[in-house]
Amino acid sequence: MTEATAATGGFSHPALFYRGADEYLGATTSFVRAGLAAGEPVAVAVPGENLRLLRAALGEDADRVHLVDMADAGRNPGRIIPRILRAFADAHTAGGRRARIIGEPVWVGRSGTEYPACLQHEALINHAFAGRPVTILCPYDVRLAPAVLEDAHATHPVVVRDGTEKPSPSYAPEQVVASCNLPLADPPGPDPATFAFDGDLLPDARHFALERALALGLPAGRGDDLALAVAELTTNSVVHGGGSGTLRLWREDGHVVWEVRDRGHIGDPLAGRRPPPPDRPGGRGLLLVHCLSDLVRTHTRPGSTVTRCYLAVGEDGGKLLP
Amino acid sequence: MTSARPAAGLGVSALAGRPGLRLWGEIGLRTSRTWAGALESLPGLGGSARCVYLELSGVTFVDVAGATALALTAQGLDGGRRIIVHRPPPSLCRTLEMFWSDLAGIEVTA
Repeated sequence: MTEATAATGGFSHPALFYRGADEYLGATTSFVRAGLAAGEPVAVAVPGENLRLLRAALGEDADRVHLVDMADAGRNPGRIIPRILRAFADAHTAGGRRARIIGEPVWVGRSGTEYPACLQHEALINHAFAGRPVTILCPYDVRLAPAVLEDAHATHPVVVRDGTEKPSPSYAPEQVVASCNLPLADPPGPDPATFAFDGDLLPDARHFALERALALGLPAGRGDDLALAVAELTTNSVVHGGGSGTLRLWREDGHVVWEVRDRGHIGDPLAGRRPPPPDRPGGRGLLLVHCLSDLVRTHTRPGSTVTRCYLAVGEDGGKLLP
Repeated sequence: MTSARPAAGLGVSALAGRPGLRLWGEIGLRTSRTWAGALESLPGLGGSARCVYLELSGVTFVDVAGATALALTAQGLDGGRRIIVHRPPPSLCRTLEMFWSDLAGIEVTA
């Protein structure tokens, strides 16, 4: 790997287009080893099977790398920046030291419902890490849909293909962020459970959500996650979203889905994606919602915000249908 | 709409026999002032005792802001002092684990 990954100073965010395991391992192991040789902290966050391959290929070097299964920790793309990428970078870049991360948020098998959140995440990385001494290399399997590979050109300033690194002519992360903020599809069923709330009904909204979600098949062990997240979004509606809102729940493709609609507007695209310092009073609500959900989608404009959260149900692990 | 539930308030009383407070109800937007007042008084209850106690077995829910207020109170304690939190609801444990997993000023007991 050449200039982008050897960059000094600011943020570097190359996409790596790979064909097959050999090319994948060749490029990623050399990226990791170059970092280790330079004394840089290195993390690898890639989905299970690729993690297994890479760990084996690294041999003893794997012990010096922070390894994360992206299919689990990064299942909700909305938490990858705060909980994986910045969590590692912030902890290891004190004194201007450079950190190096492989982050693979998109893989064959990501559903059509999840993909827009992956795309939005890739675009937001550029904003979240601007000026930080970090390199994040994002592998893309060339078997992914052509549109996905096109999108990768829009979210990465540099693309590595066949061992050659080139600036991306279509790099436009701001446009991607804007294009991801779209009205959400209607629920598939006729009558989602609906509850209108204001500040006096916050506990009732939470109880309503919990009862309905359990009836829709939410495992009891995730009830506390749901209650916390519902409390957060409904409280946000009361405090920041016009004082009231509407909660809806339904079942969709192996998930319990719930959403809160209010009259607020989220102007900051990185809201919920910044890890707050431990002594800061606020700034954890949306982050918590991202952490506790398997997917979060948002549509926001002046006077209207809908935040929709997916919680996996059942034995298939809640994989969203393509 | 479901039928109306009893208002979800928050009660506070002093613990007998040790420095601290017992609370019951739930901690959320509408009870945040009561909770803030309880937390504000907490460090002063023990005099110079190393530990102050929060008995939360009667608390059914704590939202993120409530957990944050507790964590900030613990961070503000003088060196070596801590808050012993007895039987908190799972919602509080979940938030503390997520954001303050290594906070020395809070000890959770079952």
